[in-house]
Amino acid sequence: MVRVLLFFLLAIGGIPFSVSADHSPKIEIVGSTTVLPIASRAAERFEKFERFERIERVERVGKVDKPSHRLRILVNAGGSGVGIHSVARGRSDIGMASREISASEKKRFEGSHLKVHTVGVDAVACVISSEIYDAGIHDLSRQEIRDIYLGKIKNWKEVGGPDRKIVVVDKERHRGTRHVFMNFIFGNPTAKTPGTLLVTGSNNEEQAKIAQSDSAIGMLSYTWVNGEVKAIGIRDKKDIITPTRETIRKGNYPIIRNLNFITAGEPAGEVKAFLEFLKSPAGQQVVEESGYIPFK
Amino acid sequence: MATFLSNNKPLLVKNKSQGMMWVFAALNFIFLCCAGGLFFFLIFESYPIFKLEGFDFWLGQDWWVGETYGALPMLYGSTLVTALACLLVIPLALAVAIFTSEFLSSTPRRFVKSVLELLAGVPGIVYGLLGVSFLSLWIKDIFGLLDGNTLATAGCLLAIMILPTVLTLSEDAMHAVPAEYRDNALGLGLSKWQTAIAVVLPQALPGIVGAVLLGIGRAMGETIAVMLVVGSLDRIPDPWFNIFSSAQTIPSKLGREAAESIGEGAHWSALMALGLTLFLMVFLITFVGNHFLKRRRIS
Repeated sequence: MVRVLLFFLLAIGGIPFSVSADHSPKIEIVGSTTVLPIASRAAERFEKFERFERIERVERVGKVDKPSHRLRILVNAGGSGVGIHSVARGRSDIGMASREISASEKKRFEGSHLKVHTVGVDAVACVISSEIYDAGIHDLSRQEIRDIYLGKIKNWKEVGGPDRKIVVVDKERHRGTRHVFMNFIFGNPTAKTPGTLLVTGSNNEEQAKIAQSDSAIGMLSYTWVNGEVKAIGIRDKKDIITPTRETIRKGNYPIIRNLNFITAGEPAGEVKAFLEFLKSPAGQQVVEESGYIPFK
Repeated sequence: MATFLSNNKPLLVKNKSQGMMWVFAALNFIFLCCAGGLFFFLIFESYPIFKLEGFDFWLGQDWWVGETYGALPMLYGSTLVTALACLLVIPLALAVAIFTSEFLSSTPRRFVKSVLELLAGVPGIVYGLLGVSFLSLWIKDIFGLLDGNTLATAGCLLAIMILPTVLTLSEDAMHAVPAEYRDNALGLGLSKWQTAIAVVLPQALPGIVGAVLLGIGRAMGETIAVMLVVGSLDRIPDPWFNIFSSAQTIPSKLGREAAESIGEGAHWSALMALGLTLFLMVFLITFVGNHFLKRRRIS
């Protein structure tokens, strides 16, 4: 229960991970809750790394920097759409997106010269409540998932499960995970899904709602899968590909996406240093520790 | 405005400390400007969507960003959860208020009041977290539902949220009824119970209606608590009175979508139009409530 509460505290979005009141240099990062663990972990490490560099510099030059000049990195949630929008409009320094910039966004923010910095790879898993998984559903075909989201299949028994109605969980339409998932299922990132019963926002929120239900289906970043929310395989004729670190790394699992940091124009100063840190071996280790696949 | 222009009454009451009065008048003016400014800002920002959709904005049932914006499901959801909350709150609040005001001696009464006022100040997010962790699961189990994120859950949660406010204010109104009324009624041979129902309650009615209106205002505007338990599905339930299905309210819609569209485009304009609609709804309810009270007082 404490965990559910914690999830939702995070899910509200807009929780600064480090707060600054002074005018020291600061980087604001906003967007996808999928990329957020990388950003907050990297921010912590980069702030330390930066301090270390400064101490070295002080030893070399013999001059002490003012303590108020310490770099601060603020990380906020909101979703990929929010991340792209806020960086394009100058409300943040870096946007996080767990998808590519869509054609309409490219057109809309043409003047902002958005630049994508890919740092990792993640899979979107089709997930179901553990009760259904334990009752024998371990995979679904693309057609079956499509029919569930269209409301044509309403009961788990129609796909070989128990006689229980399906709680179809969808996501807010600007969310990166939804774009990627719907693009695979329907071939259209903003597909309409009349079968939906619940709409959720962040990964935390969706995970908690699926865990609370005993007959739900939804979509989640692979790293958010746990004991109560199980990932199922995608069946294509006789082949079943289940998302595992192995199948994602090899590129066999079909629903994979890049995890992106986005800047308006070429990055400079602290932002550039932070992005370079993310692409360095130390940064790629952060990606790995966050549960994602490093980007080659 | 029209009244003091027509009957030659002076705008300001005569008094001795003119200087101080002008300071207060200026502050008053700033406040009026803020209220008016907010209203005109909402109209200005939502104008493009009304130009695009016309009245279909209020009548349409489909909200697809970039294609069409129909606010009916949100309007319906907001109205229904608020009505549901009122339906649950009013009888309960009145019963407890009568007991606290008329039958409780002063020390326990003060204790009850202080606890209620403490509860009235608990922020919405706290109720939201409790709602999503417990209430939605209870409702799901009790009614044997497919899922616990429903209009009924949101209505119950709002009822719990506004109960302390409505209760403590209506209790104040009852307690403020002069003691002579009660003494006279008791002297005429009415029982304590009859006095409370037939004398105190009608006298306190304006205050009670005010309390309920304040509660409605809070319920209509509550964002986060509702957003977590209502299911956020932009669809009118089928059949329409099915309170055990997911739906969407205006504040919850704003909470979910505002950040991705701040300040530009048809989407933003549509969200501002939702805000304007909510503003007008609360305004209308308050207006009707006050009107009803005025008519009652005259008759």
